[in-house]
Amino acid sequence: MKNNIKVQRAIHDMTQADLAVAIGVSRQTINAMEKNKYVPSTLLALKIARLFKKSVEDIFSLEDE
Amino acid sequence: MKTNYLLPNKYKTIGWILFVLGIIIGIFLFFSDYESNALTIKVMSIHNDDAIFREENGFFKIIENSILDELAALAIIIGGLFVGFTKEKVEDEFIYKLRKDSLVWAIIFNYTILIFTIIFIYNFTFFDVLVFNMFTPLLFFIFRFNFLKHKSLNYEE
Repeated sequence: MKNNIKVQRAIHDMTQADLAVAIGVSRQTINAMEKNKYVPSTLLALKIARLFKKSVEDIFSLEDE
Repeated sequence: MKTNYLLPNKYKTIGWILFVLGIIIGIFLFFSDYESNALTIKVMSIHNDDAIFREENGFFKIIENSILDELAALAIIIGGLFVGFTKEKVEDEFIYKLRKDSLVWAIIFNYTILIFTIIFIYNFTFFDVLVFNMFTPLLFFIFRFNFLKHKSLNYEE
């Protein structure tokens, strides 16, 4: 699964730390997601989507294997 | 992330202090061949089956023992549990996953080493392996968890 959290973050001019605080997770989590090392739970994906006012599919998408 | 077995974050500092203190005393005892006589007091022994000091053998006897090694072991274990199982400042699903992964890794790594030492280490030297093995699962777990935690912080913006 890939995501464009980094792009969304740039659009909203947020640092990893800002985003982490905004959705109440650690900065490690944001970093790991951006590096595609961690697949977030549905709950966390929904929180991120709500923060950026996008649908979950606009931010997270399946990768063709 | 809701977890019911983690202690509050404030226990982390005291955990580190106990853990490091215990390891220092432990290393000192190891190099002095456990022959320290410091803090010798009467203790309750549930069962004793010593080959040399036979007069102290039997069930539920009050015997004399230097409790420095017991204190060191307790400090390492209790300190280690505090360090490994207290909440992080921000506790979330990724940290939770790191902790679980580290725990699995530590158990597998520890027993792999133990298998190796069972095969290649014999006699009284193996006693040292047993002593170390009381603490290595916790040690590996703490090391791995903190290593991953710090590694997943680097590279920003």
